[in-house]
Amino acid sequence: MAVEALKIIRVGEEEGRKLLEEAKANVAKILNDADDEVKRFQEKAREDEQRLAAEISAKYVQEGKREEAAIMKTVEEESNTVKAAAESNLDSTVNVVLERILGVR
Amino acid sequence: MGAKEMVEEIKEAANEEGARIIEEAKANADQKLEATKSELEAQKQQFVAAEERKGAEEKERIVRAARQNARKLRWTVEEEMIEKTLAAALERIDGVKSGGFKDISYPEILAGLINESALSIAAGSSAGADVEVLLSEEDATASYVDQAMLTKLADEISSEKGATVQLSLADERIKSAGGVIVRRKDGTIEVNNTFEQRMARLSTNLREDIVKTLFTGK
Repeated sequence: MAVEALKIIRVGEEEGRKLLEEAKANVAKILNDADDEVKRFQEKAREDEQRLAAEISAKYVQEGKREEAAIMKTVEEESNTVKAAAESNLDSTVNVVLERILGVR
Repeated sequence: MGAKEMVEEIKEAANEEGARIIEEAKANADQKLEATKSELEAQKQQFVAAEERKGAEEKERIVRAARQNARKLRWTVEEEMIEKTLAAALERIDGVKSGGFKDISYPEILAGLINESALSIAAGSSAGADVEVLLSEEDATASYVDQAMLTKLADEISSEKGATVQLSLADERIKSAGGVIVRRKDGTIEVNNTFEQRMARLSTNLREDIVKTLFTGK
């Protein structure tokens, strides 16, 4: 009778040990999954950084190009105005130069 | 307590312990994920701020380069017009030779240049100076300057400045659009009053005058 009881208890202990083993395996899986999730977050963060870097750079380059175009447009208009003024003053300026180089000033 | 009850107790304890360590693991995993999220979010904020700074610097670089290009373009346009003016002035020399300039004939212009050059040489020669005048082949052939003119000029200089100056026409010719080179016959002093040389010599003042007249009309 006592032998039978001991057997039952051993079987019970074995089942209890198995239950604990299963729980530990679950714990390991939970922690592993968490590590994998962390890696996924980090990977996604790296991808996000690359995308953000490209977006931010493109935004500022575009702004710079827009300002560049405006600056060049303005200077081209100014240059045309200066050129037109100079063309209309060319004859009188040539006279000034001639006065100087001919020594008749 | 019977064996079966003991077995149930053992299994219940194992179940409870298993549930406890699983719950603890879940809590740890959640905490780890939250900490990672927070850390990554903070990193992202820093990264974005750094990229914004880099972007703004790149933009500033583009704008600075554009401003520099604008200045260069403005300068190029001005330079082109200045060069055009100088070229036009040299081109008009032929017209000056045939028609004069502001009612002054070309021989009179040459006389003025010879006078200025000879005076400069005489100023450095207390004992008088024997001076010769060099012309271009074209000007010599056209006889814009003759000995009579030189003698008259020499007399005027001698009487005005009290220094004896003798002027004569050299056989040697110069390569020039016009103007003269005047030098002592002993070669010690030479005044180059060719138009090209005068243009180069007067360059700084000339450019100031050109800029003023060309771009402001004054």
